[in-house]
Amino acid sequence: MKKSLRFVGLAAIAAIASMTLASCGASTNDASSGADVKSIKVVIAEYSPDHTSEFWKAFATKYEKKTGVKLNLQIISWNDLDQQSSTMVQSGNLPDILNQNAYASYAADDLLYNSDEVLDAATKADIIPAFVKSGTYDGKFYGMPDLSSARALFYNTDLFTKAGITAAPATWDEFTADAKKVQALGNGAVGYAQPLGPEEAQAEFAIWLFNNGGDFKADGKWTLNSPENIKTLEYMKSLSVTEKVTQNNPGHTNRTDGAFSLFEQGKAGMVVGFSPLQSALDTDFTSVKYAIAPMPSGDGAAAQTYGVTDYLMSFKKPGNQDAVKEFYKMYYAPDEINTWIKAEGFLPVTTSGLAEFSSDPKLKVYLDTLPNIHLTPTDDPEWDKIKLTIQQNIGLAVAPNGDPKKFLDDLQAQAEAGK
Amino acid sequence: MGEALLWLGPALVLILGVVVYPAITLFATSFGTYSITGLRKGSAGFDNYVNFLTSPDLGQVMWNTLVWVVVVVVLTIVIGLGLAQFLSKSFFGRRFVRWAVIVPWAAALVISSQLFRLMYDYYHGIINHVLLALGIIHTPIDWLGDSRFVMPSMILVGVFVSLPFTAYLFVAGLNAIPADVYEAARIDGATPWQTYRTITLPLLRPAILIGVVLNMIYVFNSFPVIWILNGSNPGVGNDTMITYMYKLAFKSGDHDIGMSAAAGIFNVLIILIAVGIYLRFVNWRQGDKA
Repeated sequence: MKKSLRFVGLAAIAAIASMTLASCGASTNDASSGADVKSIKVVIAEYSPDHTSEFWKAFATKYEKKTGVKLNLQIISWNDLDQQSSTMVQSGNLPDILNQNAYASYAADDLLYNSDEVLDAATKADIIPAFVKSGTYDGKFYGMPDLSSARALFYNTDLFTKAGITAAPATWDEFTADAKKVQALGNGAVGYAQPLGPEEAQAEFAIWLFNNGGDFKADGKWTLNSPENIKTLEYMKSLSVTEKVTQNNPGHTNRTDGAFSLFEQGKAGMVVGFSPLQSALDTDFTSVKYAIAPMPSGDGAAAQTYGVTDYLMSFKKPGNQDAVKEFYKMYYAPDEINTWIKAEGFLPVTTSGLAEFSSDPKLKVYLDTLPNIHLTPTDDPEWDKIKLTIQQNIGLAVAPNGDPKKFLDDLQAQAEAGK
Repeated sequence: MGEALLWLGPALVLILGVVVYPAITLFATSFGTYSITGLRKGSAGFDNYVNFLTSPDLGQVMWNTLVWVVVVVVLTIVIGLGLAQFLSKSFFGRRFVRWAVIVPWAAALVISSQLFRLMYDYYHGIINHVLLALGIIHTPIDWLGDSRFVMPSMILVGVFVSLPFTAYLFVAGLNAIPADVYEAARIDGATPWQTYRTITLPLLRPAILIGVVLNMIYVFNSFPVIWILNGSNPGVGNDTMITYMYKLAFKSGDHDIGMSAAAGIFNVLIILIAVGIYLRFVNWRQGDKA
């Protein structure tokens, strides 16, 4: 009995040892010699179930044919992307290319190639300078933009006509008044659909505060609790608490299945939207008549266009530099990148893309503002955490018993402690 | 002996790979400092445990977990007992009813939760439509956003998805009770309630024990129901330990895998202690002897 137990113990040790060895083998494999890799792992975020995999599968085939390097494609939904990419880094199982909405933390951890190592000079020159700037951490360009979007105010023209409003609001006072008129129509009409739940609340906050002269960071310092920002958040809170011109419980409403769906049902007078909402309205919800206008500004602040870009970053792994370089070269070829951006309904990130898209009158309202677009401070690794705190907690700050000033003070303290 | 190992081998490898190895990894992770990207920066000592245990949200989350587990398990067991009685009677259409009861179990938790999310919706949900049409309420209820209703709404779904397994466990238990015991009771003139209390319940005791323990573990670890139904709420006011752990790792401003791993170790301890206390309380060894 005793003997057999010992044997089992030995077997267990052997099993563990072989597993450990196996995992070592896997990691030393690509770290051996400087020889070029035979395959690369490309992790892409799923922008839409229809177009993302279609484009990338075709891209992979072309890439393999051209380079002889196998492209292992992994398409992951936005919901799981943070968890999956963090697990990949934690387990040392790095991708070669990763598509994410943040890059600075990876650059700060010294995991990425910069543009000098993997990007053609001509390609870099083609990228719109505003995006090069947002992709630059500590003087080097790490976060290559894959596509962009700009936000604007969508309003339901049928509801506006019914409420006797003739033009889109240009100031906050007009905005409140218009929203009240729409809300007063009754029958489930909502003046303004305001999504401040965890999904994408930082975007909703950003567009309002940029148009009130506020910002997250100014001159290299965090300005999260600046007077402009506090005033903005208090105004946003007042829309639901005192003016009562929003849908029920904005702090608990997400964007896609909450605010957008109200607008798509023709129930919301106004919502902050972007081009994918526009394509949904034009194809699936054609009964909704709408128009697009710049955001109203508070206190006579200059109008700003809030934009978002996501990134393609490449991880430093032995022997993958040429394969990665080739990947970028192919991706930024106008035929590839613009085809995809068009299919997904987003906006270009290159100067050549701007020229190509300019023929589309529907996109004009965005394209004109793209070169001067106002982005969030994605070039600061600390923003990656600030963004999460805003997403998770801003909904509490705009509740009837919420305290916008305290929320922003705490946020400022979090940002300063992180430095 | 060599032959024995041959037979044991696959199971041992499976246990080592699926149970022991992840447990060791979790333990090691809980003592590391991690960057937001997932990169290990060094040892954290006990910092992750200290940060987790002193987190201002922990009290609320533990309370939510207690309410969630206790209410769901108690309701599941009580309703499950009734349902099992009903299912073990023979009546017209019993086969159909038995299938209907098992369906929620066959459906993926994520799908069931999404369906309930649609039904609970403030503007479009069928529950509000029906209650409004019947005149029971006059304004819609924000089932998944109003803090008074979120937990009860989630509990309802929790019970709904736990019932099939529990009811079938009890059906099997009822079938195992010999018919002659009931016959003897009838001859002795026992009332139906007396029969149920002194014969059915005591003889169901092993099934009930297993039902409670397994449900405690399942319900405590239940992620999809809470994650999906609570998905549009800010903060951690309605989270249980499991979803809180996930938020710590990937969604909150902490975004800290190490702290989340410490929470994971803490969770395992909690559920072990809870099950231990329960088994102690019901004196399960004595039950075996009886």
